[in-house]
Amino acid sequence: MSQMHGTSQTAQNPSRPETTLQWCLSVIPKTDYSAFPLYWIRIPERYKNQQDELSNALREVLIDPLQEELWIAQPEERATWIEQWSRRGYRWWAEKQFLPGVTDNLAHTVQEALELKNFPGITVSSGAGFIFRDRLMSAEDAANLRKTLTMHKIYSDSESVERTSRYTIYHPLADQFKVHDLSADCTGELLTYPSIHLPEPPQTVPVNLELDDAGLEALSKDRLLALTLNEMRTIRNYFRQKQVQQFRSNQGLPTSPTDVELEILAQTWSEHCKHKIFNATISHIDFSSGSRNKVVVKSLYKTYIQGPTKELMATRKDLLSVFKDNSGVVKWNDDFAVCFKVETHNSPSALEPYGGALTGILGVNRDILGTGLGAKPIFNTDVFCFAFPSADLPTRPKLLPAKAIMDGVRKGVEDGGNKSGIPTVNGAIFFHPGYRAKPLVFCGTGGILPLDVHGKCGYEKHTKVGDTIVMVGGRVGKDGIHGATFSSESLHEGSPMSAVQIGDPFTQKRVLDFIVEARDQGLITGITDNGAGGLSSSVGEMAQITHGASIELDKIPTKYPGLADWEVVVSESQERMTLSTTSMDKLQILAEKHHVEATAIGTFHNKGYFEVTRAGKVVALLDLDFLHDGLPPLELEAEWKPSQITMTSGSVPADLSKFLLRLLAHPNISSREHVIRQYDHEVQGMSVIKPLMGERQQAPCDAAVIIPIYGDNTGLAISNGLAPRLSHHDAHLMAVCAVDEAIRNMVCVGADPDTVTLLDNFCWPDPVHGPKNSQGKAMLALLVRACQGLAEAVLAYKAPLISGKDSMKNDFDDGVVRLSIPPTLLISGMARVPDVSKCVSMEFKQPGDLIYLIKAGKPGLAGSHYEEMLGWQSALIPQLDLLKAAQIYRQFYKAIEKGLINSAHDLSEGGLGVAISECIIGSGKGAKIDLTHVVELEKKNADSSPFPFSTDKVLSRIDTILFAEGPARLLVSIDPSQKTEWESLWADFECNEIGVVSDKNRLTIWEGETTVIDVALMDLERAWRTALPFD
Amino acid sequence: MHKPEAIVLCGDGINCDAETGWALNLAGFEPKPMHVSDLLNNSGVLEAAQMLVIPGGFSYGDEIASGKILAIKLKERLRDALYNYIENGKLVLGICNGFQVLVQLGLLPFSGENDPRIVSLVRNTQLKFINRWVRLQVFPDVNSRFFTSLREIELPIRHGEGRLALELLEDGAKESTEQTVKRLAPLRYTEEVNGSFDRIAALTNPAGNVLGLMPHPEAFVRWTQNPSWTHRQVAIKRFERTNSIAEIPHGLAIFSNAAASLN
Repeated sequence: MSQMHGTSQTAQNPSRPETTLQWCLSVIPKTDYSAFPLYWIRIPERYKNQQDELSNALREVLIDPLQEELWIAQPEERATWIEQWSRRGYRWWAEKQFLPGVTDNLAHTVQEALELKNFPGITVSSGAGFIFRDRLMSAEDAANLRKTLTMHKIYSDSESVERTSRYTIYHPLADQFKVHDLSADCTGELLTYPSIHLPEPPQTVPVNLELDDAGLEALSKDRLLALTLNEMRTIRNYFRQKQVQQFRSNQGLPTSPTDVELEILAQTWSEHCKHKIFNATISHIDFSSGSRNKVVVKSLYKTYIQGPTKELMATRKDLLSVFKDNSGVVKWNDDFAVCFKVETHNSPSALEPYGGALTGILGVNRDILGTGLGAKPIFNTDVFCFAFPSADLPTRPKLLPAKAIMDGVRKGVEDGGNKSGIPTVNGAIFFHPGYRAKPLVFCGTGGILPLDVHGKCGYEKHTKVGDTIVMVGGRVGKDGIHGATFSSESLHEGSPMSAVQIGDPFTQKRVLDFIVEARDQGLITGITDNGAGGLSSSVGEMAQITHGASIELDKIPTKYPGLADWEVVVSESQERMTLSTTSMDKLQILAEKHHVEATAIGTFHNKGYFEVTRAGKVVALLDLDFLHDGLPPLELEAEWKPSQITMTSGSVPADLSKFLLRLLAHPNISSREHVIRQYDHEVQGMSVIKPLMGERQQAPCDAAVIIPIYGDNTGLAISNGLAPRLSHHDAHLMAVCAVDEAIRNMVCVGADPDTVTLLDNFCWPDPVHGPKNSQGKAMLALLVRACQGLAEAVLAYKAPLISGKDSMKNDFDDGVVRLSIPPTLLISGMARVPDVSKCVSMEFKQPGDLIYLIKAGKPGLAGSHYEEMLGWQSALIPQLDLLKAAQIYRQFYKAIEKGLINSAHDLSEGGLGVAISECIIGSGKGAKIDLTHVVELEKKNADSSPFPFSTDKVLSRIDTILFAEGPARLLVSIDPSQKTEWESLWADFECNEIGVVSDKNRLTIWEGETTVIDVALMDLERAWRTALPFD
Repeated sequence: MHKPEAIVLCGDGINCDAETGWALNLAGFEPKPMHVSDLLNNSGVLEAAQMLVIPGGFSYGDEIASGKILAIKLKERLRDALYNYIENGKLVLGICNGFQVLVQLGLLPFSGENDPRIVSLVRNTQLKFINRWVRLQVFPDVNSRFFTSLREIELPIRHGEGRLALELLEDGAKESTEQTVKRLAPLRYTEEVNGSFDRIAALTNPAGNVLGLMPHPEAFVRWTQNPSWTHRQVAIKRFERTNSIAEIPHGLAIFSNAAASLN
């Protein structure tokens, strides 16, 4: 038996530990309290005679002497603490502790602090204690408790305490939680230092693949390989080959693949790593014209993602490295490049939202660190898609409460961004009931890297034969095993607990500082991150550079003994980078300075295989060509039938002011201030356009602008766009709208539309047809349509894609219900602002400024929030003239350069009415809007329409004009003295003056003689600032 | 002219070191970025420097209490050197997490070797991290070398534990501590932001050469960092027809005051 210390990462694979003392510590506030930290510590025998000194050191480390005191007890003395609370009228005592193996950052810090106080070797586990009363308490007590615990009711039994605490003060996948009834004579067993015994790890064994189809499928399922039958057969057939068998017997390997080899193949071939669906051959059958129309698409990725970008590369010389590294790299100036990557972490966030989101953001940070020879992260941008907690949602035992998901994700991103010193420059939160089972957590990070690193090109890898393979950062544990294959499956009852992991932003920040300095000293020849698939992916991928790699498992530091060989290779334990170097000695010295663990674990060679050894014995030897190119292409079927929607609608509601206020309070529209304020959006000192601008710091800006280089005047704009409400109407249009929104947002703040680069992130319900997935063909058709729309928009806007990601199994299926997300495409963008002093924010600036509406195409009601509010359904979908829109953005940029624009805002959720309101709220002013002319124009359009009864009629209704949604529309205010110059720019476009900024704090909108909306600023603001239900 | 050297501490979770270095550079300092490990291994470098800056960030992940473990590290290894440095009248500036470190070290508001610690920086009353710009009032009667000629300034706050709390004492002692702390507070929020005692945003030692402040001066060294800059620019364009805002950004002014005090 070997022993596992849940929290110890300091000792080198500790063998049998010396005898120990155990203490339990409580940090008790001197003022009122209901919750407080608890620690369990193990003290080596050698400190037996220094207990007073140790107590003092613990006091110095753990408490604020002015505010708190420290209680220290042997485990058996703890009952006396608890009796005290009983005497003081408390009824329940609860304590929580991390489950063994779960990352405990607080404990690591305490251990490091005790080392500073000359007490190395003490191991710590952290937790918390809670006391509850069982009767109605004073209002003040209740308020205090609510603050920390959200508990304010009477508990009749310990189970109800447990139930109310679940997901609010503890998470069953990360914590142990025990409730004790203080009124009972016996309080039951208290938690002690968490040490569990792991059996000796299983030896590496060959896995018999000589099975029939059912056997192969069962094997894939049982081992969580997530490989299809065809892939399992391919592996079996490969190992049957004569020359393979000959080679293996020469190397002393069994004929069958070892479990290590099978796991490496499964990770490398996972949907997550190989994007099988995007590379599949798809026969797409289109029923839209009434007849059956079949097209074969060979690889969506090559056709619609890579294709358009390649076409644009002829004129875009700034695209330095696209689609091949961990992020897309674009030239910034003669010395630097910028890079950008967006990832998702949906499945982990559905199970344990805090850890899922935290590891998501730290993971994408590592993508930047692993770009070229190592880039430095300079911004984060995050987009969350949630189900709104109060919506009528299915409740399934496996599903977390919607609010627990929201709060956990928000907090995870706060800790991940803030503690890493990377500003969260912008983002989005989008609600739709379809995200009930799987929230979408998009984490994006941008970085900067020098073009020249000691004479080498900074955005390429320079790994050579003979270079040492180095693992840097955290150690390997059981956490995160099978993350890559897990994310490639839908969630089900047996979803593995080992997928739960909590990130350690502090360790990663040290790794970050270390990597940047090592790069600048020329110590890194190549680098990548350890994400999905762990070492099997990172070393396996880098091995392609030299065409071979060998690693020795004995050298790899683990958190605790008891890991099987295959677990070490595929573990996704966090905060790790893999790099190659020729100067291990210098690297080691630098690592010690930064308190970062750097270990040489093997060598890159050119022998054509990826080799893993344990104690000199080969446990895996895989031909690199087979590993990376042996995957059989997927063949899939798609069937597209246009959506059939029965139109329902009604007459124009009487009180449009009321609807405007309701729209402003809609969770997709209302202010994000509560979340924005908790994310540091200014660290690194680069910001120019922040999430909330203006004198009142209330103006929600469309895109962020930062200055990547101190002292420079060139800005980088960053934005996001998504339109999932249109997916089921028309996925093609959905993709176009997402691209348009991302670009339009950047154009609004002053970016040059000719410098835009984009990233695509597809999150889809499973598009592979199967017995459990009858909607597969339809979902795949939506994917094909979305890709076609994306390609079209990319070409029209001349905005190349530089990187992307897909997450293709966003379904929940517990055998009773199947819940799928709406197909979602997030487009994220970067663009250049040549002179930041020309930047524009969205709020109105001064009374008397003229307000204009610019547009291309037509908005629609389908998918709009107004329609949702009224319970209507229409097929009136937005239409976009892509080429015209592209021209508008370029014309708009000219106006910005001339300094003609005082404010600019895009029309998005809630349409024109909401956009004007936001510009007013942001400025604290008012506006007088006259839509008479706009209505007349729309009527004229409708009259000249070739269709007698067309949707164009609806477009001229005042409520449609106010609240319809759609792409390519901008709201601008200008100084009246510049009216002539401004209007001369727009002679060939739809650009209409619609009103004037006023100093009356009101929004008044007329059509002809009728006042259609008249609302005070205060009421607009009150509605818009309706808080989202985050803690 | 010889530029005064300022050591900018980095590593161990400090994360505002780059922009703090840039701000010091703009103010006429020669910033010298230095990893905590390098300073501990060679405290002699302090002699050449006119100022030690502990920038903002999340040292040790803010675990246990903000600034606590970095303070223990500095105290264990650098205690005497730090006291000498302060006694010699050199400048020490702690920003945000750096302020928390100085308080944990017991260097504010009194920085003598035998002075007791009387204040803490604890969780904001909102129990939340807050990033927003605030207005601050300078108290010119308090002896400090950082706020010369400043009266009302704007800076961003970005912290979860910035509420100044005093030792829990009985009435008489409490009042005298309160008076003492008030006399050493050169900067206050003009409105309630985090529950800080007497709305205090910064503390200095009596000699005025040690300063800790929660707001971030390094985050306001150019006007385009102020969230209202687009608004002000339009106003200026209209009335003055120029394209720039004349006043020195307030954060830069704080660093410049420090530099000027060394000449």
